[in-house]
Amino acid sequence: MHSQTLDHDGTDVFGFWLYIMTDCILFACLFATYIVLNGGMQHTLMLKDFVALPDILIETFLLLASNFTFCLAILNLYQSKLKKVQFWLMITFLFGAAFIYMELTEFARLATEGFRWDLSAQASSFFTLVGTHGLHVSFGLLWILIMIFQLPLLGISPASKRRLTYLGLFWNFLDIVWIFVFTVVYLMGAL
Amino acid sequence: MQAKERHQPDFGTGQKKLSTYLIGLGICTFLTLFAFWIVMSRQFSSLEGFVFIYAAACLQFVAQLIFFLRLNTQTEQGRVNVMSLVFTGVVLITVIIGTLWIMSNLNYYMVH
Repeated sequence: MHSQTLDHDGTDVFGFWLYIMTDCILFACLFATYIVLNGGMQHTLMLKDFVALPDILIETFLLLASNFTFCLAILNLYQSKLKKVQFWLMITFLFGAAFIYMELTEFARLATEGFRWDLSAQASSFFTLVGTHGLHVSFGLLWILIMIFQLPLLGISPASKRRLTYLGLFWNFLDIVWIFVFTVVYLMGAL
Repeated sequence: MQAKERHQPDFGTGQKKLSTYLIGLGICTFLTLFAFWIVMSRQFSSLEGFVFIYAAACLQFVAQLIFFLRLNTQTEQGRVNVMSLVFTGVVLITVIIGTLWIMSNLNYYMVH
């Protein structure tokens, strides 16, 4: 049961895992920049005067729910129920899209109320950090759509299982990054 | 059936069970609500709030790793994944703590 040698697909998934690890380092740099630029410096316009925490709470739950529905899709994949996999992927997509929609409306509201990305280094680091996460989620959404259309072609096969495993790692990783975004950026900012 | 289950590829992500995901969802929901409540109730000092919300974030991080990413050390693949995660953690802490240390030092010498 415990094979000592890695099979080919396993090596591929490990490669993808390493990509995610390097993405972690990218986010670490953005977090470090954000924390440095927000430490001690007082600006006339601070993020906490603009943020609506209940909206952030809803965004957090949208992402958590999409994460859970993706896990349901994986469960159905391993039970070879193709239609249900597609259904849960679709639900995952809707939750993720709602998250992106809320984030974009929030950005637009911040900008119109005066907290623009060119206001200060603090504002730039905020939009870069949260925007990079949002961009990752957007690419994840595109990927989910592609998988929904590709699944009937691949069927329930090792190939489709491998691809959905990649996507699952990526999607889960985005939720983990979001935990730190809402803690470091929004909650610390409001404290 | 047994033999078939053994041949399921698992990529070091462990067995897929609904109960595990439900437990993970419950823990993450609780910790998220807890962290937001700490800040929104405005009953806590900055230091207390700081400690509580970072503790909640770290716990939720671990919960996500165990219940959703299904990190485990049961298989060779799982062990390699955990090892690379630990290495990334070392790099991450070096980058973040190092940056904060250097910048606060610079800040100190600018003032004094």
